[in-house]
Amino acid sequence: MQSHLLHMLVYATLVSAFFALLVRRTRREQLRLGLTLWLAMVGGALLLAYVMYPFPR
Amino acid sequence: MAAKQAPPTHSADRPEAGQTWRGWIAVGLGWLLPGLGHVYLGRLRQGLLFGAIIWSAFGLGLANDGRLALRDERQPLLTGLQIVANLGVGPADMIARRSVYGELAYRLPDEQARGADEQRAEIFRGRARSGVSIYGTAYLWTAGLMNLLLLFDVWDIGRGRNP
Repeated sequence: MQSHLLHMLVYATLVSAFFALLVRRTRREQLRLGLTLWLAMVGGALLLAYVMYPFPR
Repeated sequence: MAAKQAPPTHSADRPEAGQTWRGWIAVGLGWLLPGLGHVYLGRLRQGLLFGAIIWSAFGLGLANDGRLALRDERQPLLTGLQIVANLGVGPADMIARRSVYGELAYRLPDEQARGADEQRAEIFRGRARSGVSIYGTAYLWTAGLMNLLLLFDVWDIGRGRNP
């Protein structure tokens, strides 16, 4: 698997599912926290990438 | 001046000896096979899900040329912590090392190494050169660290602190 984006999505999914299961008990709370964490990780990374785009490498 | 009072003791907070044993057994099983600690404590669904997550991360790490950390004398603290993270998944780390390095290796040979030591160093550097190695390494560390967190969780559950 060479896609950086796919790695990020898979990684965010594993980590957010793990923490949602670890710190929440009900299915509804787990889904809510898992989705929040996933969006924070993926959205944060994409936002950071967008902000950094104008800077030279 | 008021005399110092002894802190209040709550007998309900003190786990019984049986609970302590239960906690230790759960921690041991959880380290041997990620997810098994929860299964032992009767949390089958949680154990299976945690196991699936950790094994997926570990498998992805190995499939993406993740570096199984070797202790480097030039960076002992950093590489030592990396080994701790790797060892979080339990004996699976040792099996992976035997498969990747051909032996149970935990130390990076020095520059003048020859023979099997030199070969181990080359395998390590070869995996590091791979374009996906940084992802593989992150998966491996994450798998180990997640399982270490799970050990704290099963310890608490086993001692009745996390109903």
